[in-house]
Amino acid sequence: MTSIGTGYDLSNSVFSPDGRNFQVEYAVKAVENGGTSIGIRCKDGVVLAVEKVISSKLLKPGANKRIATIDRHMGAVSSGLVPDGRHFTSRARDEAQNWRSTWKTPITVKDLASRMGGYLQMYTLYSSVRPFGITAIVGGWDSELESPVDGQVGSGPSIGSGGKVDSKKHGGPGLYMIEPSGIYWGYYGAATGKGRQTAKAELEKLDLAAGNLSLFDGVKEAARIIYVAHADNKDKEFELEMTWISNMDGPTKGRHEEVPKDILEEAEKLAKKHLEGEDDEEETKDDDKMEE
Amino acid sequence: MNHLPQAWGRPRDDVYGPYDGSYLQNDGPNQHSQSPIVTGTSVLALKFKDGVVIAADNLASYGSLARFTDVKRLRKFAETSVVGFGGDVSDMQYLDRLLNSLDIEEAYGSTGHTLNAQNLHTYLAKVLYKRRSNFNPLWNQLLVAGLDGEGKPFLASADLLGTTFSSPSLATGFGAHLAQPLLRKVAPDEETASKLSLEQAVEAVKASMKVLFYRDARSIDKYSIAVVTKEGIDLKQDEKLENQSWAFAEQIRGYGTQVN
Amino acid sequence: MTMFSQNPLMNGPNYSFSQTPTMASGANKEHSFYPYTDNGGSTLAISGNDFMIMAGDTRSTSGYNINTRYSPKVFKIGGTTSSQDDATLVLSVVGFAADGHALKEKLDAIVKMYRYQHGKPMSVKACAQRLSTILYGKRFFPYYVTAILGGLDEDGKGAVYSYDPVGSYEREQCRAAGAAASLIMPFLDNQVNFKNQYIPGSGEGHALVERAKDPLPLVVVEALVKDAFDSAVERHIEVGDGLSMMLITKNGIEEKFLPLKKD
Repeated sequence: MTSIGTGYDLSNSVFSPDGRNFQVEYAVKAVENGGTSIGIRCKDGVVLAVEKVISSKLLKPGANKRIATIDRHMGAVSSGLVPDGRHFTSRARDEAQNWRSTWKTPITVKDLASRMGGYLQMYTLYSSVRPFGITAIVGGWDSELESPVDGQVGSGPSIGSGGKVDSKKHGGPGLYMIEPSGIYWGYYGAATGKGRQTAKAELEKLDLAAGNLSLFDGVKEAARIIYVAHADNKDKEFELEMTWISNMDGPTKGRHEEVPKDILEEAEKLAKKHLEGEDDEEETKDDDKMEE
Repeated sequence: MNHLPQAWGRPRDDVYGPYDGSYLQNDGPNQHSQSPIVTGTSVLALKFKDGVVIAADNLASYGSLARFTDVKRLRKFAETSVVGFGGDVSDMQYLDRLLNSLDIEEAYGSTGHTLNAQNLHTYLAKVLYKRRSNFNPLWNQLLVAGLDGEGKPFLASADLLGTTFSSPSLATGFGAHLAQPLLRKVAPDEETASKLSLEQAVEAVKASMKVLFYRDARSIDKYSIAVVTKEGIDLKQDEKLENQSWAFAEQIRGYGTQVN
Repeated sequence: MTMFSQNPLMNGPNYSFSQTPTMASGANKEHSFYPYTDNGGSTLAISGNDFMIMAGDTRSTSGYNINTRYSPKVFKIGGTTSSQDDATLVLSVVGFAADGHALKEKLDAIVKMYRYQHGKPMSVKACAQRLSTILYGKRFFPYYVTAILGGLDEDGKGAVYSYDPVGSYEREQCRAAGAAASLIMPFLDNQVNFKNQYIPGSGEGHALVERAKDPLPLVVVEALVKDAFDSAVERHIEVGDGLSMMLITKNGIEEKFLPLKKD
């Protein structure tokens, strides 16, 4: 950040001579201080997890949820400024509802990511606003079944709705990450926040692109990765919050739900065990420099 | 109340004199929902020991035309309640979407579902009353079946005027004339209903559906039936009326080819 | 108009070919939706020296149909709990049940707010005026109900306030309302206000001495209420099934339920 102090970082929407929007880069800085969030796209579902750093012992354990339901089949988690994340959630819910009232069918994860990417991008264009201080991960399951439109009364045509190609697979898991600039990509595994570097390294080891990881294993991996990523930030206590969306045959029947307590505790137990085994190895401290 | 949905919400002839339908001849914009178009007939429901049985046939009529024959008029809400709709089908679809968005908003919280059938009924009744107060009614009569806040069987009705009432057995439309007396025989009061078994309740409702098929010209022999208990909802949408006997019809003047 | 033009008369589907308009088209167009209905039933309130009784049958009707045999029309108003245990006022509504329900909910919310804000229950006099204001607020789209408000006044005497649908009100000794009002009210005139009752042998014509208007005790009034409804049930088809009664004394509100004939 050699250009600090040149004046180009004072207003949003103003480019520096070398083509950067500093306000957006500062927003990214805000994200890098937030608790780690990750998402894993498994073959039969999606897991979202967040390292919720406990800022006070007076807070009630398990309260103040950080992962939100956007629509029945979709959830979102973010790292960075929590109120910005709340507004993101609120807007995403509106987008999902509007989509439903227009198209009488649930929004796909891809379309929601597109809408939200567009929304965040608008906050980079005007000097009267600041960019979102969050990077959000949106995960969901687009139904693979012939789904009825909202309010449908009959069974529909026996051959199903149109526009479908026999050989093509429809529906499936979706995982997208949206950054303060408005940029968004689809991911096999996504990580953001303070421990993102460690988390990404762990995610890469899973070979998610092969599409073999099951949802239940994904839950265990997600818990483990949050614990591993937290190891760099040991002095602060944290809570693990985790949600999932399975396919229609799976445990959540295509809905976005909290991971049940027993499964969560089991995953946390395994994660802790994994860390103890790793204790001897000295972890390398991740320095907080910009990625570019 | 007359069983014809077209007659609902009109001034009563015996009180206000013959209804003046002359407005129907006027040209110009027609206000939506000022009369029902595609309609469903009766909905029946009966409380029993552990819950509620509710049924409606799968027909949507366009006037006297049996227009849509696989219309599901029982709608689940949140796996805890069932709403049965009589009257206008497009208004039913509107309400279904409304309930759908309510269900999604309920899921935003992490505590899970908090709305029971009683809450749902209050909500729907308020929607209906608000709409009638704005002279833009939702042309339905509906039954809400499920459990109340204490886990006891709950059954209540709400209609296009916002009128509400609750009873051990309920029937809308033609069913109010034909089925309700049969159901009241089985469950004259709450106490009797609270002793009925599931089998008894289902049998009474099915028998009533059959009677309605015999005598309601806007009915069909395919129907949906749901049982709501604390275990959840058992909804069957492709039932067929069985063991009909039309032998009695031969005794009736004007039936079939018989003329005198 | 073109959409359903098969039937030139009705502009829409009909249940029967014979179901055509019954009157010729005039210059004035009537709004086609009628937002009211009559759910039948009757209510009755009588005040005594240190009590008042509010009663109503529990039948709800639509035309010749009985909607339900149990739909109470008498409500406690302004209690601080959902059971309304600590309420001091009662309201009865008869006429269009949906409006009655909406009116009750509204008055209850207002009286509750008064109680929370002032730290004391609303007096029956204040509530009576407030109810009138609510009703008149919908003067041009009225709540189609006859309401009766009951409670004990500042002196501990029984108070009955009766209303018309647009808020005209009056404090009375007693009042019958609803379907069987015309059957019950004359009975009340005679039995509560002793109309046409004279002391036997006191003379003839103008010399007749009226029976003294002594207030009735609670047991007598309660019996009158039961008799009034038993009689109304015999003669009016929209009245019956059950009788819901509220007795207000300085000790609070006592609820009673009695069966009526279900025919």
